[in-house]
Amino acid sequence: MTEPAATLVRLPRAADEDLDLLLLIRHFELALLDLFGRGELNGTTHTCVGQEYVPVALRRLLGETDYVFSNHRGHGHYLARFDDPEGLLAEIMGREGAVCNGVGGSQHILRDRYVSTGVQGESLPVATGAALHLKRTAPGALACVYIGDGTWGEGAVYEALNLASLWRLPLLIVVEHNGIAQSTPTARQMAGTVRSRAQAFGVRHHGIETSDLNAIRHELAPLVAEVRFEGRPLVVEFVTHRLGPHSKGDDTRPPEVVEHARARDWYGLYAEAHPEQFARADEAQRARVAAIVQDVSARPLSGWDPCA
Amino acid sequence: MTTLTLAKALNEGLRRSMEDDSKVLVMGEDVGKLGGVFRVTDGLQKDFGEDRVIDTPLAESGIIGTAIGLALRGYRPVCEIQFDGFVFPAADQLITQLAKMPLRSLGKVRLPVVVRIPFGGGIGAVEHHSESPEAYFTHTAGLRVVACSNPADAYTMIQDAVRCDDPIIFFEPKRRYWDKAEVDLMAAGVPLDRARVVRQGSDVTLLAYGPMVKTCIEAAGAAEQEGRSLEVIDLRSLSPLDMDVVAGSVERTGRCVVVHEAPVFTGFGAELAARISERCFYHLESPVLRVGGFSTPYPPSRLEDHYLPDLDRVLDAVDRAFTY
Repeated sequence: MTEPAATLVRLPRAADEDLDLLLLIRHFELALLDLFGRGELNGTTHTCVGQEYVPVALRRLLGETDYVFSNHRGHGHYLARFDDPEGLLAEIMGREGAVCNGVGGSQHILRDRYVSTGVQGESLPVATGAALHLKRTAPGALACVYIGDGTWGEGAVYEALNLASLWRLPLLIVVEHNGIAQSTPTARQMAGTVRSRAQAFGVRHHGIETSDLNAIRHELAPLVAEVRFEGRPLVVEFVTHRLGPHSKGDDTRPPEVVEHARARDWYGLYAEAHPEQFARADEAQRARVAAIVQDVSARPLSGWDPCA
Repeated sequence: MTTLTLAKALNEGLRRSMEDDSKVLVMGEDVGKLGGVFRVTDGLQKDFGEDRVIDTPLAESGIIGTAIGLALRGYRPVCEIQFDGFVFPAADQLITQLAKMPLRSLGKVRLPVVVRIPFGGGIGAVEHHSESPEAYFTHTAGLRVVACSNPADAYTMIQDAVRCDDPIIFFEPKRRYWDKAEVDLMAAGVPLDRARVVRQGSDVTLLAYGPMVKTCIEAAGAAEQEGRSLEVIDLRSLSPLDMDVVAGSVERTGRCVVVHEAPVFTGFGAELAARISERCFYHLESPVLRVGGFSTPYPPSRLEDHYLPDLDRVLDAVDRAFTY
């Protein structure tokens, strides 16, 4: 897909609730990077700085009976689904109150109909099964699965596309195409396009090049309804930008590429377009996250009884 | 009592599971109209419909992944992997998702998925159609691994597996599919995670599962004529392992030979030998010996008789157990 010139256009005003969520995710991710820098977190993590608007836009299009399958870069997906930054941070830090008792960590969360896994592509067949389940038992519900551009190298993607199209399943595949698979640019890892690959299976494809939440919802609402009620699987490809590293300290991109991404960051664009609304919300969410970090950091380690 | 082949016993067991619970689904390659390559699912699609007996594309990862998605909220899928060697494309789903999700959720998420795999050689097929991949799965925490050896067990074990809330790799002894025996369709059978002494003896314990149980019973019959008394144990469940039955036997006999078709090197027998030496050390008169396939790819069918353990190789190991 082409470069999203649209993101440079002045962003229209978003609802306070949406802006709060965008900023919550942003400050949550920045706090994680800070905690890592200070040696307060174990293991690894992947932040979605720059991509926050994707799950925020989709939030209004998804309901409680829908499944959401997330990936390694899933904090935004979780926070858009559950207003639970405390539980997620506790999970990542292995503290009391963790969503999965600290067993899952950053990228393996299971809560109700939300499932994340770090291995690329493997959630697609599972989402396909969940979609088949929903088609039979809860018509009108769908399974939404988030993947990246790099995921399209995995064979499991195509087994799932084939099954979903063949069996007419309510499967919504959201591609966060940020142009880079860890350190490998799309042009070095993908032959052809996401669009043509989806179309080869008779699956519709829709491209999104803006970070304007209302425009995204307006474009997607009728298409998502068709996924739900007509069993027409859909691939939605967001052209987006990852501002941070893949994980931590592993950003191999030349500075001008990162600068290019930063210039298209919704955060700066929105601050410029709506300074007063932004400043208030930004400060409030920054303070909220700081308080959560303080609270969760002081909690005892999470525990579990494997024999319970 | 009814006389059934092992394949038909599995078929009857599956049929009964499907009758008992409408959430039980059968899915896999050619399981519907054809009834499976070995006809284990014969007639099920006709009787239960295409929604419950699903012919899938050739997509092992897709089959197991879809089954996981179906099991997340209530379905109990029984997946067929057509041949042992075809399971590897599904390894990611089996190892990374099916085995781990229930553990990761501290048991809140149960995945009652049964993965049926015809395994082992002896039917003149080729590599990928004759393999014994059980150790890959016993090595994976979170999976139950079982193997049936006879029609009566096949009938009850498949039903127990379907009723179990844990993911199960269910190995079926391919070359014994056509063996016939009396099956009591009303019997409950031995619990799924228990081993069973199938022939009592006092001199040496033979440990086997799946197709090698019959070979060991024949070996015990031949040994009897030479004055040796061999006890044969059908492990039935490889993971978890019923060590009480194993140790109880080895502590009496003092000698043990493990028999499987899979290569000896880091095969399942290695775990058995290690556990027995840990638990029964002061009872052992000789090291635990292993009989199995060689560390080569499965050979062309003309050579498989040289590859597969047979009565002579089992008895040779028994002889060696007396040389210490």
